[in-house]
Amino acid sequence: MATDFWSSSHYKRWIVDRATLRQARADDLLYIDDPEHLDFLAIYFADVIGKLGKKLNIAQRAIATATVFFRRFYLKNSYCETDPFMVIAACMYVAAKAEETPIHIKNIVQDARHTFSQDHYGVKNFPSDNSKLAEMEFYLVDDLECDLTVFHPYRTLLALCKSDEGAQDASPADEEEAGEVGVGLTPDDGPRYWGTGDGQLELPPNGLQTAWFIVNDTYRSELCLLYPPHLIAIAALYLACIFHPATQGIVAARLAAGASASASTNTEPPPRRSSRQAAERKQPAQDPLEFLAALNVSLPLIATIAQEIISMYTLWERYKEDSVSAGAADPGSPAKGTPDSRGDDEPGGVVTPALLTVVLTKMREARLQDIAHPAGGRPGAVNKMLERTQAAG
Amino acid sequence: MSMDVSNIIQNDPMRMYRAKRDNTHQSVSSKYSILGFISSGTYGRVYKAQSLAEDAKIHAIKKFKPDKEGDVITYTGISQSAIREIALNREIDHENIVALKEVILEDKSIYMVFEFAEHDFLQVIQHHATTLRTAITLPVLKSLIYQLFNGLIYLHSCHILHRDLKPANILINASGVVKIGDLGLARLIYQPLQPLFAGDKVVVTIWYRAPELLMGAKHYNKAIDCWAVGCVMAELASLRPIFKGEEAKLDSKKNVPFQRDQLLKIFEVLGTPDEKDWPGVKDMVEYQNMKRLDPYTNRLYDWCSTRVRSQNGYDLLRQLFAYDPDNRLSAKEALQHKWFHEDPYPTWNAFQAAPQQIPPHRRITQDEAPSMVPLPAAPFNSHTQSKPGSSASMSGGGPYPSGGNGGGGNGRKKARLG
Repeated sequence: MATDFWSSSHYKRWIVDRATLRQARADDLLYIDDPEHLDFLAIYFADVIGKLGKKLNIAQRAIATATVFFRRFYLKNSYCETDPFMVIAACMYVAAKAEETPIHIKNIVQDARHTFSQDHYGVKNFPSDNSKLAEMEFYLVDDLECDLTVFHPYRTLLALCKSDEGAQDASPADEEEAGEVGVGLTPDDGPRYWGTGDGQLELPPNGLQTAWFIVNDTYRSELCLLYPPHLIAIAALYLACIFHPATQGIVAARLAAGASASASTNTEPPPRRSSRQAAERKQPAQDPLEFLAALNVSLPLIATIAQEIISMYTLWERYKEDSVSAGAADPGSPAKGTPDSRGDDEPGGVVTPALLTVVLTKMREARLQDIAHPAGGRPGAVNKMLERTQAAG
Repeated sequence: MSMDVSNIIQNDPMRMYRAKRDNTHQSVSSKYSILGFISSGTYGRVYKAQSLAEDAKIHAIKKFKPDKEGDVITYTGISQSAIREIALNREIDHENIVALKEVILEDKSIYMVFEFAEHDFLQVIQHHATTLRTAITLPVLKSLIYQLFNGLIYLHSCHILHRDLKPANILINASGVVKIGDLGLARLIYQPLQPLFAGDKVVVTIWYRAPELLMGAKHYNKAIDCWAVGCVMAELASLRPIFKGEEAKLDSKKNVPFQRDQLLKIFEVLGTPDEKDWPGVKDMVEYQNMKRLDPYTNRLYDWCSTRVRSQNGYDLLRQLFAYDPDNRLSAKEALQHKWFHEDPYPTWNAFQAAPQQIPPHRRITQDEAPSMVPLPAAPFNSHTQSKPGSSASMSGGGPYPSGGNGGGGNGRKKARLG
């Protein structure tokens, strides 16, 4: 199983298409003013999970697993009908066990209460009673269909990249990850589950680290539900090659060389790289792009994923943690009129966690209101989609 | 916003969700009829059940004991062991591994629905030891071990260590096919976030525990399962555990003690290991303790002559009992061993050549082997009885964790879920 992604529950049951993702948010769309806020909520929740994970001092991979559990849960449920903070705590609790680094339930409850009660999340009522979290765990495991083994792109990164000095520094992106001791197993033990592709990619120091960080960031989106992890890893490597200065140099040199070489035959030895690169690396480095191209994966698909990662970064640019969130902390207070929400009215404005907390609370209250008074004197669901259409038309 | 709405959000925000989920839940009793009680242990109980679906298939339902606070059943969190067993079983699929059909979470309890297996290795051993009073014939012995290795190769290729292989955990279905069961102690070893030692201080039931574990190894690998298979093979051949040591208990600080008696039992047959056999032995935590034991010489050949009755069988056992884990035969190598490729050949129905050796259907079996599963802090609740014959006091452990044996069957005990 660990080697065979293709027969895993992850591949067989938990890779979905865009339509499924859209369908999963259908109810939430009815209760939200700006549909873009749903994308921001994806970032927001990943941040909350990350913060709780940091507070618990848990390994990055367990945080990633918790995030995947969270996304899978909301394939079947709506934000507006649940308490996402309770779900986050339960995801973390189960992920810690699934990754064999269990945490006592009372520590999760304690740290969740602390993390979630921070001003911009404003959750003051997270239950101190362990049994509430344990109850949620029960429902969560059921909704996850007991599929608790998750594959992550990190493994592909380690399998694809030579763990030279730079990689040694890089792969344990967090200190806790240093505990990642194999037991007679190397990362590339066993065949690569996506097919062929020989050898390993040699990235300059920190190149792997950059890819590693990009992979961390992908969890702010729903990519983990859409694509197999090894493709996400390759897209992250591809982006690292483009963004990382040291790699950029190599790529640029190769591209230049490739342009001149393409005129002649392919059998010629690769032209020497720029003198600066040659001085830095004794043996001639391989062409990272050539290496990626030689992998048995669909390059258009990699490009698509890379594009989606960039889209996430664009969105994330506008997500500002450290803005003046004072005053907007009270989830009950209306969003309008607070400094944070103002930027929201114009497209491309800044979105803060405090604002999203308000948005989320409003959604949940409105949904509950509708359920409490079905077809009563009030009109049913205040259909925001309809409102938007009318406003636009 | 009306008061009740904000009240619900404040006090029970998941109410809507739970109501929705509870509405669509299909209960255990709506899908299965419980036929009888198979066994119980610290983890809970195992029932024989029949599917109410058209196929009317027989299953074994393992019900994890719900946690109690006083008399009130409450949610306290799913145990690491249950999470493991569920997570691993959902991913694997092999003829020689007990298949998980589904998991039902209901009323604060977890029900794992497995394919039913009529027999287990312990039953076969006891049937031969007490009823037939003959050795297990060579074709049966070889077929059982062959299929056991075949399942183990699959687990190991999935980077799963079983960590509790023993006769009671290895089942056999009515068609004579071996099914490895109970992955409650198993775990993935692919890029672990922590050393394996950090998770579980003690693994494998003492009689089947590999010497590197007894010597205090912090790092171990698939070789511990292969040692256990060696012990199981020897037990099938001789109808009693080959290394039947007494387990030294964890002290009050949960320090792992030196397992003097168990090591002596091993040394009496295999001789005291030296640096030639096992270069790493001098670096083991318990090396100084081991040096103080009386020296023994290897007499495995003599041990095998009357029991294994085959030169190649002896050779296989010798290589499974290699002290150095790096020299021990892997499951894959074991299947290629000459013993399996000479007459009599292994068969897919292990009892093909000897149907008279099939033990009767599940019956009360006694199992005196100590167990890996620690006793719970609180005493058993009234309806979860300890299995007869289990020697919890000896091991600091409870009864066998397996669903494979023990307890009363055939309707002798009132079968009730709960």
